[in-house]
Amino acid sequence: MNAPIPNLSKRQIGARVQRFEDTRLMSGAAKYIADITLPDMLHLSFVRSQVAHAKILEVDTSMLEDLDYPVQVFTGKDTDGLSLKANQDLPGVQRSEQPLLALDRLRFVGDPAAVVLADDPYLAEDAAELVFIDFDPLPVVATMEQALAEDTTPLFDGWTGNKFVERQMKGGDLEAARAQAAHVIRRTYRNQRQTGVPMEGRGVIADYDKGTRVLTLWSSTQMPHLVRTYICEELGLPESRIRVIAPDVGGGFGVKGQVFADEVLIAWLAIQTGRPVKWVEDRRENLIASIHARDHEHTLEAYVSAEGRLLGLKADISTDVGAYSTFPFTAGGDPGMAAKVMPGPYDFQAYEATFRALATNKCPLGTYRGVGRPSAVFSQERLMDVIAQEIGMDPIEFRLKNVVKEFPYKNVLGFTYDPGSYEESLLKMRELLAEDIKAAEASKASPDSRIGVGIACFIEQTAHGTGDFTKRRSPIETGYISARVEMSTDGEVLIGLGLQSHGQGLETTCAQVAADALGVGPQRVFVRHGDTLTSPYSVGTWGSRGGPLGGGAVHIAANKIADKLRLIAAHILQVADPATIQLDENRASVIGDPARFVPIPELARAALRNVDRLPEGMTPGLTEEFSLDGPKDGTYANAVHAAIVEIDVKTGKMKLRRFVVVEDCGTILNPMIVDGQVRGGVVQGIGSAIMEHMIYDEEGQPLTTTFADYLMPLATEMPEIDVHHIETPTPLTPLGAKGLGEGGAIGPPAAIANAVANALGVEVEATPLNAQAIWRLAKATRSEG
Amino acid sequence: MSKTTITANGQTKNLSLEPRRLLADVLREDFRLSGVHIGCAHGACGACTVHVDGVPRLSCLTFAVQCDGAEINTVESLGGDDAHHLLQRAFREEHGLQCGYCTPGFLMTMAPYVEEMAAQDRMPEDAEIRHAMSGNICRCTGYQSIVAAVRLAITQRRNGESTQ
Repeated sequence: MNAPIPNLSKRQIGARVQRFEDTRLMSGAAKYIADITLPDMLHLSFVRSQVAHAKILEVDTSMLEDLDYPVQVFTGKDTDGLSLKANQDLPGVQRSEQPLLALDRLRFVGDPAAVVLADDPYLAEDAAELVFIDFDPLPVVATMEQALAEDTTPLFDGWTGNKFVERQMKGGDLEAARAQAAHVIRRTYRNQRQTGVPMEGRGVIADYDKGTRVLTLWSSTQMPHLVRTYICEELGLPESRIRVIAPDVGGGFGVKGQVFADEVLIAWLAIQTGRPVKWVEDRRENLIASIHARDHEHTLEAYVSAEGRLLGLKADISTDVGAYSTFPFTAGGDPGMAAKVMPGPYDFQAYEATFRALATNKCPLGTYRGVGRPSAVFSQERLMDVIAQEIGMDPIEFRLKNVVKEFPYKNVLGFTYDPGSYEESLLKMRELLAEDIKAAEASKASPDSRIGVGIACFIEQTAHGTGDFTKRRSPIETGYISARVEMSTDGEVLIGLGLQSHGQGLETTCAQVAADALGVGPQRVFVRHGDTLTSPYSVGTWGSRGGPLGGGAVHIAANKIADKLRLIAAHILQVADPATIQLDENRASVIGDPARFVPIPELARAALRNVDRLPEGMTPGLTEEFSLDGPKDGTYANAVHAAIVEIDVKTGKMKLRRFVVVEDCGTILNPMIVDGQVRGGVVQGIGSAIMEHMIYDEEGQPLTTTFADYLMPLATEMPEIDVHHIETPTPLTPLGAKGLGEGGAIGPPAAIANAVANALGVEVEATPLNAQAIWRLAKATRSEG
Repeated sequence: MSKTTITANGQTKNLSLEPRRLLADVLREDFRLSGVHIGCAHGACGACTVHVDGVPRLSCLTFAVQCDGAEINTVESLGGDDAHHLLQRAFREEHGLQCGYCTPGFLMTMAPYVEEMAAQDRMPEDAEIRHAMSGNICRCTGYQSIVAAVRLAITQRRNGESTQ
């Protein structure tokens, strides 16, 4: 914990370097999954369930026999025995499997029961329409209430009820907290179901080489190595002969951060058919059958002293996780995360959470930017405003009184928080909002238009290490990231990075990190990623760990090469102490005597070819790799978000006047990219708060299956996002960086709900806060006018 | 099958096409122009925007046979392999893209808009720029940096910089 913060040269780290990946992404030369074609390729189309819950009687493929072009069809009977299994090994968990193709039961609209393969994607789609699934309907479990009902129809044979998991987390003495409390405040909060919607959907191509027995799988995934291992284990192939490549990936946001049954299926099909098989998800499939998110209901009870100190918190958390448990984070991942992070940035020592994942006949729920945290922070931060109001304190003042101020801090569940700027961020935000708060107060006199200011104060556990994962007993046991750094004879640098960059700019930031270590320009560093053949084993890009752990691994591996370069330079320059050699501007020079230098390419050539120039006994070569695990409890980024809204009381129309962020992600590697991640995350969070809603009817039919029904933020509706930084480097990662990719999406639902509550003087208990919801909330305000 | 002649980025092909084939698919497959991205295939996201006879059109809502005799331009023709068009340079400078999937659509929608504003010698309000791009969805950037890139490109065009 008290390790010194590294003394970084920060010539490139921290600089606003333009992104190297931009050129190919803008010229049309990028290669996304749909852009890859292989000779003799088959195109796949899924036959998906059109009902939410049914017993399969027969999958009738007889009409395919009359087609005048060749097709191949596979059903659940063909893949019987192959499945996706994602189970936590804990009491309170009911085990389940997702067959690669539905065998005896359809569990949601979109559940695939067969595939048709043809030489052309149009023809595959035509043929798929000729396959009929004959079924007997089963009672539909369409809501969490129905999943909890006594007479619910279990989704899986051998199950009792419809809970994937129900467990508890606790710390401290809740009874004592309740006994001491002057105020007991209880509320229920609800977040809607939504989905992440990367602009590129998913897609998979598999090709099996009979000669070498190598399976190559391209997938629009965030986690190539985990896909490789799952295919190895499920299909019984040697992992050494599987290569998984994530090509350019058009956004992920967590949606592509799971291993999917279709990845295993398509690998199997390539082996069965002896031909490459390609599937590119269409938008309807993406919306109804990829991965859904959020859909939480929380009941919280807070115990507060007469002086306004939080003493304890009790939480009951339910999540509608849909029909299957997702790999590797499992059905329990989202509610478990909400339970874990609910204590937030606040200092109190009594907590108890009961959390459950409920099975319903809907698309499976998986990871999406923030994972449980946007829902948890919504509830936690709404409650903080309600408590402040009830005890008559200013909401910022109340938070200032209760946030953690001394670090390291051990929270009620035993997690240790590294240094952050919780209090400072709140103080900074209060300054930034002074005019908005005045405007909100002044607007209270208006019968038509009300301004409201709301904040959300939160922390985000990022870059957590093995210790955090093993506790979950789920099929994700660790969170380390690896990098291999190699210098070639010309002094150019190749990084094989175990991350996958799908917008985060890792080709640039990791080049910046290596450049500082090696004294070369970042344009000399080529970062390859998303390919199991070119990087050491690594868990992939998720959980806000790319910068701190990926950047950290590059930093350590590159420094090992730098050390060797210094030794070689010292030998060539006949300097006794290699520590007196500095690497800068593509030269190794003697500190204080810059005229004595060797160009770095010359050192590289000595290490790889002219090895007679090396010091005696030195091994040739300039390749180093490092696998960097995260700190056990992670490193905690923190932020305060503020929304300033203006509401037309008569129509319910809400305008976002301004959105302000004060954030602290430790050392900033590239400020341009950090701002981009924050703003992009905030806009997704605004979507969660006010519009995005995956609606199902009572029969389990999805109603929002196009972009005309599933509303997302457009340019015209989004405010300017004003971003401010505080930099508290963490001693727990090599560069002092904390994770940042998800934070932007966490705060907006809470901040906007608090702003609406502030504008209208009402309680806000649910999202999305669309015009209908605001109009209903404004009823009392209208009658005042 | 319909005989259709299409010119894309200056290359002319005489094609025999099924009437149902989308312009986006023909550009991607027959012309190998993979910068044409399909985001929704129902005309709601703008990722597939190309120029048909100089006018931005959604290639996922256009049948290729409708374009008989038309001249089409895709993002590949905007600034070449180095993406050196003024608007592309502005996107790079302002971090107007992250994953890049929607970007060709934004570029093809906004490049004529930049020209139009430059021709009028006028800097639009941000709200107007946002309105001009309201048929394109970006999921990564939050739009602010795209607005900044467009503003930068208009400024540079008004200062007489060439697009190339």
